[in-house]
Amino acid sequence: MGSRASSLLRDEELEEIKKETGFSHSQITRLYSRFTSLDKGENGTLSREDFQRIPELAINPLGDRIINAFFSEGEDQVNFRGFMRTLAHFRPIEDNEKSKDVNGPEPLNSRSNKLHFAFRLYDLDKDDKISRDELLQVLRMMVGVNISDEQLGSIADRTIQEADQDGDSAISFTEFVKVLEKVDVEQKMSIRFLH
Amino acid sequence: PSRKQTPTAEYPQGRRQAQLEQKEPFRPKSPQRKQIERESHHKRLQGRKPSSAERTCKGRRKRNAKASLKDQRTLPKKKKEVLKKETHKKIKKPRSSSLASSTSSGESLSEEELARILEQVEEKRKLIATMRNKPWPMAKKLTELREAQAFVEKYEGALGKGKGKHFYAYRMLMAKKWIKFKRDFANFKTQCIPWEMKIKDIESHFGSSVASYFIFLRWMYGVNLVLFGLIFGLVIIPEVLMGMPYGSIPRKTVPRAEEEKAMDFSVLWDFEGYIKYSALFYGYYNNQRTIGWLRYRLPMAYFMVGVSVFGYSLMIVIRSMASNSQGSTGEGESDNFTFSFKVFTSWDYLIGNSETADNKYASITTSFKESIVDEQESNKEENIHLTRFLRVLANFLIICCLCGSGYLIYFVVKRSQEFSKMKNISWYQRNEVEIVMSLLGMFCPPLFETIAALENYHPRIGLKWQLGRIFALFLGNLYTFLLALMDDVQLKLSTEETIKNITHWTLFNYYNSSGGNESVPRSPLHPADVPRGSCWETAVGIEFMRLTVSDMLVTYITIFLGDFLRACFVRFMNHCWCWDLEAGFPSYAEFDISGNVLSLVFSQGMIWMGSFYAPGLVGINVLRLLTSMYFQCWAVMSSNVPHERVFKASRSNNFYMGLLLLVLFLSLLPVAYTIMSLPPSFDCGPFSGKNRMYDVLHETIENDFPTFLGKIFAFLANPGLIIPAILLMFLAIYYLNSVSKSLSRANAQLRKKIQMLREVEKIHKAVKGRTTVTNSEDTPKNSSKNATQLQLIKEESISHSPNQTQAMDKKAQGAGTSSAYGRISQPASWNLLGSQPPEVRLDSGHHQSQPQICRSTSGKRAQRQPPH
Repeated sequence: MGSRASSLLRDEELEEIKKETGFSHSQITRLYSRFTSLDKGENGTLSREDFQRIPELAINPLGDRIINAFFSEGEDQVNFRGFMRTLAHFRPIEDNEKSKDVNGPEPLNSRSNKLHFAFRLYDLDKDDKISRDELLQVLRMMVGVNISDEQLGSIADRTIQEADQDGDSAISFTEFVKVLEKVDVEQKMSIRFLH
Repeated sequence: PSRKQTPTAEYPQGRRQAQLEQKEPFRPKSPQRKQIERESHHKRLQGRKPSSAERTCKGRRKRNAKASLKDQRTLPKKKKEVLKKETHKKIKKPRSSSLASSTSSGESLSEEELARILEQVEEKRKLIATMRNKPWPMAKKLTELREAQAFVEKYEGALGKGKGKHFYAYRMLMAKKWIKFKRDFANFKTQCIPWEMKIKDIESHFGSSVASYFIFLRWMYGVNLVLFGLIFGLVIIPEVLMGMPYGSIPRKTVPRAEEEKAMDFSVLWDFEGYIKYSALFYGYYNNQRTIGWLRYRLPMAYFMVGVSVFGYSLMIVIRSMASNSQGSTGEGESDNFTFSFKVFTSWDYLIGNSETADNKYASITTSFKESIVDEQESNKEENIHLTRFLRVLANFLIICCLCGSGYLIYFVVKRSQEFSKMKNISWYQRNEVEIVMSLLGMFCPPLFETIAALENYHPRIGLKWQLGRIFALFLGNLYTFLLALMDDVQLKLSTEETIKNITHWTLFNYYNSSGGNESVPRSPLHPADVPRGSCWETAVGIEFMRLTVSDMLVTYITIFLGDFLRACFVRFMNHCWCWDLEAGFPSYAEFDISGNVLSLVFSQGMIWMGSFYAPGLVGINVLRLLTSMYFQCWAVMSSNVPHERVFKASRSNNFYMGLLLLVLFLSLLPVAYTIMSLPPSFDCGPFSGKNRMYDVLHETIENDFPTFLGKIFAFLANPGLIIPAILLMFLAIYYLNSVSKSLSRANAQLRKKIQMLREVEKIHKAVKGRTTVTNSEDTPKNSSKNATQLQLIKEESISHSPNQTQAMDKKAQGAGTSSAYGRISQPASWNLLGSQPPEVRLDSGHHQSQPQICRSTSGKRAQRQPPH
């Protein structure tokens, strides 16, 4: 398996992924074997069904949204590059990364990129705003049918009222960041990838 | 690194990945490793040059770095630089790879890293060269210079100058190995934390509140281990090793009357017989000043250990309370966004179990419902008189219950004293006190809950009331028990004088009667035949011992019957029953956190009270906590279901600690009273023959210390000195209290200010938003771009290297001019930063992510401008 993993990964590809995502060599090979084990069709790409087999995603109310985040616009397959690019959001921020690369492109695992990933989970129509309807959909997913629409509506209204700053009755990314500024996103949105 | 070393317990974040990884079957790793190595070797053989993409990327980065440095270098020079560096790299590459081939691919220095370091070293050198021209204050120049020099010195080897290169590579390798070792060591440490995996397992199934009970239990176990070490190491083991052996003196011998039954199990079970006359209890210890060849002062040690048990417990409880409350101050402003937090952060992404997921759904739903209820509650008008009447009625009923239970215990204890005088009493009569106390503890809390339904409180407040009432019940029971015990002790003390006379008389008669034949000195009276006093200390110790053991058994039986058998019944009889057992009446039990914590706290109180009179009690408690850890872990995983309402663990934790402190204080009182004001028994225990127990201190000071020290102690014990000292302490407490009050007031004011600023901001924004309604299509995009930019700046502001500050200033200016948001909020945050006193840290230290978006920009400005 391991040998297959690295033989399928070409060197250049590996280097590029390394550069783009910041994962180490062994992390990439390890994640590649994970990728291939998820790939039931064995065609080098993952489909939505492949992701839905992961129990954590299957039971997550926002699981579909998370899975969607792996796929770029209009596609229903994701290759290893894309897979890694999405996972890179969850790479922990290491100490030496804070100081270097001041002027380079922002790494995928920066705080704002992590937050933006989370924001996109809620922002369905990709207009960089979470509207009341989008909030209602999320709420509906999270509570099921136990609460009446009216009550959910009032919760959504309250949420927007709390977070909204510019009076447009929607939550922009800036406002989203403001809401979550107390949350230790760097730590919470990090997965400890094995080396 | 093999898969077995994967640290699943260290971070909860790691777990998901670990789970993902563990799902696939184990495959041998070595072929892959070999393959990688072969490949990298292959690469090296090709004499790889940096790809064009790499080159351009590096060049760009470098250029950027220079721009940020405001370096006046010309373009050709720059190009030369790049070229030079590449040649460097080409030369260097084979060397580095030859080194790398000796190690595994993961640990060697990658070329990328080398290039980066090289770049940085170059930068720093340039910085040193151009330091003179910088428009910085002298102090800054100096620090920067020193920093840069240190950096260059450290990494100069990377530039590839002969031996330095190898040395550097070696050092880097070692550094990497060191880091890896540290990580492995950290993993090892996590593995060494007892029950960590079990607790994490429970946490994932039942949420943090249930886990907090087990963490509390583990903490308690640690504390008890320390106490156990103190008592066993300093009292019991010296006594066993060096003290007089069993049977040598009357207090260490079973009396003749009890001798034949002393080994019966039923007797031993009651801690009578041989156990009563063992080192587990106070009475066994002799009042010899020193024992053994070490001349160990056992009575002194006994006294000091008794004091230090309380001292250590007080210290550790207060310390952990303080550390808990330090963390809790950080929650200040978050109540601004209750609903937003619920919407955005309520799901726990680590949940991988569908049952837990269902429960999480339920708990999210309940929390939403609760907040809706809160909203409605604040608007609702009620019939206040009816509620008031019901609440008064409920409290009256509960007070009646409490008084009744108190009287019942008093009555039972009195009766047990009568029983103890009688012979041939039944098992029930002997254990009546324990049974009644356990039954009260079992049935009163549900009764209280039923009564509390009358009151119609909000569930959160209701829980606090419930906890308080159970606490009062336990406390009342405990103190009634103590009072009854004290009566018993007084009774025994009053009869002591006559027994003392009898003993003297017996011994006197015994030796005098042998006066006839002086040639054969009569063998001394066998210790078992000497009449002796009742030794109230041991009696008290036995009471606590029995209470502890029966409490433990009742807890286990309750868990077994109430949780496990019920779960079995519900699970297996559900197929052939007329209604749905799982959803309907019996259902599965929930884990009762508050009840468990309270009973843990109270049993600990009993340990504290009893440990002075029964040194072995702590040992029993250690065993008890150990077994209950395993047993409860098993029970909770096998037969309980998660709570419907998950309440926050962190807040209630300090509440439990507060209860523990209160119980500790309350259990200190009776022990202190008995030590200070009751005379010890005349014929048992380490203090026998003294007027008071603390006389052992005087004795030691007089005999073992030089006289001047004795004088100093006597002087210190003078009331004229103690009273001023106490007064001084009160003054200090008063002063500290007022300081902390004013600080918290300042804190609240600042918080209010922030709140106001936020509102002002909001209004501003709203106004702005309305004016720019026409081009609302692109504003959000803009603002989000600004946000990311600003975010970038903020993260940079954490580090302080010179080029970064420069770059940041530049960017900040750009951001300030381009974003309306920045312009508006800047003055506001200046104000804030200016007015914030240094000692009131509005938890900005905890979260670097917390500062407002423009903090970095305004913060930089604020450094230059004098605060308002």
